[in-house]
Amino acid sequence: MILLGKIVLGMAGVTLAGAGLLCSEGFVQVKVEQKQPQGHHVNIIAPAALAPIAAHFIPARNLQDASQQIRPWLPVIDTAVHALREQADFVLVEVREPNQYVKISKAEGAIVVDVDDPNETVHVSVPLRAVGSTVDEIADAAGPQ
Amino acid sequence: MRTRQPKYQALAAATCLVLAAVIAAAAPALAAGERYLHVRVQDAQKGENVNVNVPLSMAEKILPAINHGPLHNGSVTVHQADMNGIDVRAILDAIRTAPDNEFVTVNSKEQNVRVAKSNGNIVVHVRDQRDKDQNVDITVPMTVVDALFSTAQQDQLNVAAALQQLADTGSTLLVIVHNASQNVRIWVDSNPVPRND
Repeated sequence: MILLGKIVLGMAGVTLAGAGLLCSEGFVQVKVEQKQPQGHHVNIIAPAALAPIAAHFIPARNLQDASQQIRPWLPVIDTAVHALREQADFVLVEVREPNQYVKISKAEGAIVVDVDDPNETVHVSVPLRAVGSTVDEIADAAGPQ
Repeated sequence: MRTRQPKYQALAAATCLVLAAVIAAAAPALAAGERYLHVRVQDAQKGENVNVNVPLSMAEKILPAINHGPLHNGSVTVHQADMNGIDVRAILDAIRTAPDNEFVTVNSKEQNVRVAKSNGNIVVHVRDQRDKDQNVDITVPMTVVDALFSTAQQDQLNVAAALQQLADTGSTLLVIVHNASQNVRIWVDSNPVPRND
């Protein structure tokens, strides 16, 4: 009975640690609300740590082109991500048109894109830590540099 | 009761000390502050409004990492052929040592152009004579221009140094372009969100 208790406790600990690790990089959120009467409402919230893991398991041949294009820019992307993480929250770009509103901002450690047009509203939030590690995974796909 | 009073006094003194230490530590950070380069394009006819806000400290860090085309390590290479034989450094040296004055005035049927040095700034005004609504005003602090030409290489402009100097200069209105339908403003201040004026 004590042994069973220890096993359950161990499993619970591993599950908790795994969940903690998975959530450590924050969450990616994609929210799309179509404005038509029968429009779809999609709201996906996924642990950001899954993004580099998913990129790791994509067959290398599918990422070859992206990898080669991204490699020369890796130092810039790394520097930009680090510099952005150090910044306080701010609005990078804001575009207002009669029928459309677009905002790209840095908020709470994430890059947030908001779009509002007559058809739909879109909200995408990607933690900066996940951006860096995902880009590194994509760059690695073409093999050693 | 009497024995407790010194305790409270000591506690209050310690709190004041901690607060003073926190304020002293925060003061340089507050004084330095973040500066933002704002670009605003307003098109009244189309009802469009575009705002771009870039923290200068972020730009200072990213710029040296870009090594592409004419941009390397925060400097832009300008080929002599593009300068049309003009020695910009010599001109700037002359302007730097000269007192406030109007250096160039061109009045033609098409445009009136005025280049001057005023209060430590290089000021350029362009007025379109055909389209009276079209104006361009550029004000660049002399210190920023100096930083731009601070590299040893004759054919390079040190953009990273200019950005750093711009951040140190404080709130500055750099460029205004105005015509019948569009307004463009480029300025530096410490507001992360530009004011609606």
